[in-house]
Amino acid sequence: MKTIAAVLLGALLAAGPAYGLDGNEILKKVDANLQPESFESYRKLINVEPNGEKREFLLFTLKKGKDKLISLFLAPASDKGRGTLRLGDNMWLYIPNVGKPIRITSLQSVIGGVFNNADILRLDYNVEYDVKGMKEEGKEYVLDLKAKTDAVAYDRLKMRVDKGALLPTRVECYAASGLLIKTLYFKELKKFEDGMVRPAIVETDSPLYKGYKSYMVYAQMKKREVPDEYFTLNFLPNVGTIR
Amino acid sequence: MRGWGAALLLVLLLASPALAAESGGISLSDIEKEIAGAAAKPYSLGGFLEFEPTLFGLDREAAFRRIRQFEKGEGGTMEQYDFGLRLEGSYRKDNLSAFFRADGQLRRVQDGWTHSTTLMEGYASLKPHPSLVLDAGKKAVKWGKGYAWNPASFIDRPKNPEDPEEALEGFTLASADYVKSLPGPLKTVGLTGVLLPVHEDVNGDFGVTGHLNGAAKLYLLLYDTDIDFMFFGGGSRSNRYGFDFSRNITPNFEAHGEAALVTDAERRSIGPSGRITIRETDAVSWLLGVRYLTEKETTWIAEYYHNGAGFKRDDLKGFLDFADNSYEGFRRTGSKAALFRTSELANGPFGRPNSMRDYFYLRASQKEPFDILYLTPAVTSIVNLQDGSLNVLPEIVYSPKQNLELRLRAGFLVGGKDSEFGEKQNDYRVEFRVRYFFQLP
Repeated sequence: MKTIAAVLLGALLAAGPAYGLDGNEILKKVDANLQPESFESYRKLINVEPNGEKREFLLFTLKKGKDKLISLFLAPASDKGRGTLRLGDNMWLYIPNVGKPIRITSLQSVIGGVFNNADILRLDYNVEYDVKGMKEEGKEYVLDLKAKTDAVAYDRLKMRVDKGALLPTRVECYAASGLLIKTLYFKELKKFEDGMVRPAIVETDSPLYKGYKSYMVYAQMKKREVPDEYFTLNFLPNVGTIR
Repeated sequence: MRGWGAALLLVLLLASPALAAESGGISLSDIEKEIAGAAAKPYSLGGFLEFEPTLFGLDREAAFRRIRQFEKGEGGTMEQYDFGLRLEGSYRKDNLSAFFRADGQLRRVQDGWTHSTTLMEGYASLKPHPSLVLDAGKKAVKWGKGYAWNPASFIDRPKNPEDPEEALEGFTLASADYVKSLPGPLKTVGLTGVLLPVHEDVNGDFGVTGHLNGAAKLYLLLYDTDIDFMFFGGGSRSNRYGFDFSRNITPNFEAHGEAALVTDAERRSIGPSGRITIRETDAVSWLLGVRYLTEKETTWIAEYYHNGAGFKRDDLKGFLDFADNSYEGFRRTGSKAALFRTSELANGPFGRPNSMRDYFYLRASQKEPFDILYLTPAVTSIVNLQDGSLNVLPEIVYSPKQNLELRLRAGFLVGGKDSEFGEKQNDYRVEFRVRYFFQLP
């Protein structure tokens, strides 16, 4: 009997890699499960308006290490060619007509609507947040995250994490005032090119935009190592040539 | 054992109703197909169609109105209709790519129709190494950090401060851009070198023909501050040295500045009789600006600009006196010669936007007020600090549908006699711009 119990316990431990981890370690595993440290991805952002009308944006993204990230809008026509670069807390927006990158902040929105720059240029959660508290509710961990600096768009996050998969199921984003800005729902697990399994759809709603919904759909994501020089202002106008 | 456990977990998770929930009618497979097609496509072709009617309220007493419309009737308003087409395309293969942007415009004014086509940019790029980009063709390089003005943008056409985000026509040039990322406080070093030939048929409007000019820019990202040093020399224009910086003081507050030394800058002045005096002197122009985003998402942009080579009040007064005398002469004698000369100057140095010494630029824009998405009202003002005249440009930009942009804008010019904005041709204008963006499959 003791042997059977030990085997069962062993199986549970094998399937439940989070046992014994503290909040920050869980958060690091969540980050590792959501995206490789260096990758390229193609995402579609969809804003659905109360009347059902959709606005769709197609983004190519490259990330390297903890804090280097570039994104390029491939569609729609009105935004095509816009590029964003993030180096730590520095963010720039390149608009083809303007021709030179201008500094922006994580709170702004380069496309209007519910998504802001922090959503589009998101770094790993553990880079921007510390876990200040953790509790267990059924099959989920509930992590209370606090921004490390005031340069981060959302001051606090309440993240629900599936205990088994160590993937987020829901993230509530709060301002420093305690106001709920938006809630992200992670849906549709998908196996990507490198074997990574993560939610392919991140649905967003916001009490600030009643009736509106937004979706971020990951269609391609794979590991890719690129030179540091791609993450520079000089290179930003050329991002489209390295897809 | 661990592997089996993980595999079992994966199967359970993929089938989990909690994670594979309804997703608002978003079809993942359709999007995957669409993105696979877009990712593989090596070319793009698109642009926009534009229609812009404008109503000008003419200032009958203004010098520029008398110079430009001395034979016209006394109508108080003038209508203008612009139809535009922009085409942009790109192609990439391996480390080679090409890009073009072309504008076509059809304009209807009271005299009839005019049209123009312009290749704004058209160049090829080669990337032999991740750190090196070589470009050749017609290109706008757009140096400088200023929003409304760029005194250190030595090899670009001046932008219109009333519409600083509009595309500029480039010059034909060859450039090499080398960039290196580094660890430590100096994160990036970039060096750009440009060769710009000026002949009658190539860049003939840049400056003195028969020269191969050179320009260079050194870029540093040092302690989270963008810093550039620029140089231009070669003979078509006098030697120039420039500097700029940009930095986020706080996440929502950005400061920038730009300075340029133009050696042997030509300073023109004109007497009431029309005699022009030109003297050469070194001129320093500079700009300081801030950009601030409030919690309520109002963006403020403020810039002070000192144009070291700009006209002083006496210079403008001399020109306006000459214009008055020319007009009076025309009325007395019917002779147009002096007015044609005045008109040349009005369409040249004295008619350029913000050609005087000291200006202040202020713009406030509010993102999506009253929770109306895709609506951005803004108001912009440019103040001539020498004579106190100014323009005020309220506007509303709205995108009712994806790829459709509407802009309603008015411009009011305020200023007394012998002031820059007071003597402009119009008292006000109202324009309505419709742009429909398209992208060919």
